[in-house]
Amino acid sequence: MIERRDFLKGCLACGVTAASIGVASNDALAAGSFEGYPDAMGVLVDLTRCVGCRSCEAACNNEQKLPEPDLRFDDTSVFEEKRRTTDKAYTVVNKYQVANKETLFRKIQCNHCTEPACLSSCFVNAYTKTKEGAVIYKASVCVGCRNCMIACPFNIPAYSYSSPLKPLVKKCIFCYDTRLKEGRPPACVEICPQQVMTFGRRADLVKLGHDRIQANPAKYVDKLYGEKAVGGTSWMYLSSVDFGQVGMDAHIQNEPIIANVKDFLGFVPMVLAIWPALFTGIHLLATKNKDGHHDHEGGDHQ
Amino acid sequence: MHAVKRQMIMLIIGTLVLLASSVCFGTGIPDKININVIQKYYAGVEFNHASHINSLKDCGLCHHHTTGAQVSDPNCARCHKNSGAQPVVSCKGCHNADPFSPESLKEQRDQQPPVYHRDKPGLKAAYHMSCLGCHQKMGGPTGCEDCHKRNEKGDELFRAGKFAPKTPAKPKKSHH
Amino acid sequence: MKLFMARNPNTEIVDSLRKDNDRGRRWTLMEKIFLGLTPKQYMSQAISNPLNWVFAIIFLIGFPVLIGRYIFGLSWVVGDPYDNAWGLFLGFGLFGMVPLSSSGFQLGSAVEVFGRHDLEPLERLGILNGILGYFFAVMFLMVDLGQPWRLPYPMIVSWGPEAVLFLVAWHVATYLSVQAAETSTSFFEWMGWPAGKTFIKKMALGLAVSGIILSTLHQGALGALSCYAPGKIHPLWYSASFQWLYFFVSSLPGGLCMVIVVSTIVIKTMDWRCDDNYKNNLNKLQITLARGACYGLLTYFVIRLIGVAHDNKWAYLATGWGAWWLFEIGFGVILALILLTTGVRNNNITLIRLGAWVTIIGVVLNRLNVYMFTFNWQNGHVHVPPLKEIIITATVYSVYIVTYRAILYRWPILFQWKTKYSDYGVLEPQPAEQKKSH
Repeated sequence: MIERRDFLKGCLACGVTAASIGVASNDALAAGSFEGYPDAMGVLVDLTRCVGCRSCEAACNNEQKLPEPDLRFDDTSVFEEKRRTTDKAYTVVNKYQVANKETLFRKIQCNHCTEPACLSSCFVNAYTKTKEGAVIYKASVCVGCRNCMIACPFNIPAYSYSSPLKPLVKKCIFCYDTRLKEGRPPACVEICPQQVMTFGRRADLVKLGHDRIQANPAKYVDKLYGEKAVGGTSWMYLSSVDFGQVGMDAHIQNEPIIANVKDFLGFVPMVLAIWPALFTGIHLLATKNKDGHHDHEGGDHQ
Repeated sequence: MHAVKRQMIMLIIGTLVLLASSVCFGTGIPDKININVIQKYYAGVEFNHASHINSLKDCGLCHHHTTGAQVSDPNCARCHKNSGAQPVVSCKGCHNADPFSPESLKEQRDQQPPVYHRDKPGLKAAYHMSCLGCHQKMGGPTGCEDCHKRNEKGDELFRAGKFAPKTPAKPKKSHH
Repeated sequence: MKLFMARNPNTEIVDSLRKDNDRGRRWTLMEKIFLGLTPKQYMSQAISNPLNWVFAIIFLIGFPVLIGRYIFGLSWVVGDPYDNAWGLFLGFGLFGMVPLSSSGFQLGSAVEVFGRHDLEPLERLGILNGILGYFFAVMFLMVDLGQPWRLPYPMIVSWGPEAVLFLVAWHVATYLSVQAAETSTSFFEWMGWPAGKTFIKKMALGLAVSGIILSTLHQGALGALSCYAPGKIHPLWYSASFQWLYFFVSSLPGGLCMVIVVSTIVIKTMDWRCDDNYKNNLNKLQITLARGACYGLLTYFVIRLIGVAHDNKWAYLATGWGAWWLFEIGFGVILALILLTTGVRNNNITLIRLGAWVTIIGVVLNRLNVYMFTFNWQNGHVHVPPLKEIIITATVYSVYIVTYRAILYRWPILFQWKTKYSDYGVLEPQPAEQKKSH
């Protein structure tokens, strides 16, 4: 039989642990369904307009002061392979040869989710969704676990693996510091000759996107990609072909990524509340009328 | 027979409209137009207006309803079927050179009623979509520098010319 | 050491605070570290052990690479795996080692909570296996993290409480402390600090219960982490509803089988260190553990099948990934189950030990499949870690084995610490005796 004192100690130990972890779940549950900041800005990308000139890549490189590229920005040999964002390129344009259709180009960059997976998976809260709509990153707290890269449904965040002392996550920040904060469009939007990207309030762009489909139903597939995907993204897409054909995840979930772990996080307080009493109770049942603890050592006790 | 007849009529009307507009604006139709909205990175374009008029004949292709030409887009035709020639026909007269500035966005949001011309491209896009779209169909030049040579600032932006990457292109690493 | 003991059967090895001869003076710390041998004897036994030469070669190659990782950056070792951000260091080192370390909470709670005192000869081994596994999972993390010096950030600098990893970080940190406390009893005995041991013993039940809580949650949390990447992990390895259960349930047989494997290695390679209590009870206890592992494996097998049935993913079985899935389940679960159940039923210890090996390989393979091999499977390629990553992983794992062995050699894990001459009454050794020890 345990002594009452020990029992209390046990409970106390559990309580302290409970208190330390209880935090983990409450915020997550309170997160609920977040519809986004009302005045958040966004970008409507019309894939049918892109001609693959790569001006956006050049402008991004210049604006974000990224390192020199391997190839000139007017070199079209890059289209031979499908590229992704890296720590040296926050946006890249890929070329898609769609059967029986014209060639399509797609610009890839951070989609600035309304409920970002990178943000909700980060254990040091390095990401912020600003009221302007950008998902920005606080380098000073990043530990480098790269969970955001695992979590991002669009495979956007890259990591400067080559830096021994200060490796950081690198991704598009919607030109937040230099432009968006002042209400100006990001560098890629501004330089685009074809206005592939329309900058405006996200709420307005949703309407605009649907208007464009309605005005030209033969041209577009009837879907505004990003309106609902993973809880909505600030960057949304119109296309003339199924989105799967231009390398986008056509089966992406509509719930935000954090919804996938809510079940588990909801289970946490239950374990914390029930387990201590349950197992202490089991202990009392299991050890009743038996000898208490045998000490591990033998020696001259025997 | 009927179709040919209709085409003939259309052609005559078209010619008349063209003549009428020439008369209306008289010397107002420029033969050459200097376009320099992106002169930061590119040399200006001396657009040969006259030769485009000669080969296209249809002003509405570029100028929509503003020259009084018949509009083909049914969406435009709802209002502009008979709206006649407008006092402003130049591209930059309607298309905003800075379409996404906070002021432009506000103006667009405050538009009453908030229905018309909501999706109007900016000036640069208007040029490119109009020119490039047509050139692709008609076999005109489509490369960036076919129309406007990049200047030094542009070369710097594109890391081209004397700003080309010094380090030889690394063997391609597949980032998958 | 085994060889040495065979040649010098009468050597006195430290197993209590005081020597048998020499008027029972206390062992000095140096003597304890050298197991009671002279440094020369110790070196000679170390050199004659071929395993040490293997480690020497691994360290000779591995440590320069490990140091290089910090000098030249991660890319020097792992390249630029943007689409497979978690490679071998976490896939094996964290996700693979933590389930095999669930033995700590299982044996701790079996003895302390459920009153299964018959398991006591293996309790300390189970707990040591637990703490070392967690500790080295953290070591792997220190290799993998971009800025490992910021490891305490989620605790003190910036909180991200809605993240599953935040929960994992806190749990692993808390649980490491719990296990450190549980393990410290052997250390206190070895050092001769009975007060510390008495103190910990009083908290035994509390520690065991917090062990259960923390383990349930973070073993599951490691699975829940993959719920962040639903489209990236192959559907056969992913189930929105069961992912955390897969990880938690498979960690149970994983931990038990790890104890079976380690205790077997121990009896084969260092029986000089095991006392009779350990030697005589081992087979019986391994069968008990194997029986527990069978139930765990069976449950795991059923929920893996339910997971596939629940989302109706049978069609994937006909693909190449399906064949790989069938291999993982067929080898790591079904074969393991057959070996273990047959072994338990026929009291066949060889089959049980073989089954335990198969089980732990199966669990590790599952973790690698989830976080490395099938990750971003739609990109159409399988991520294979580069050579330097494998070298570092082998190096850190070798350090783990060396540390494990060093502790088993010394602390009373496999044997009961003998108390003589009323150690607990006379805490201060006689000054005269102490002088003699020089």
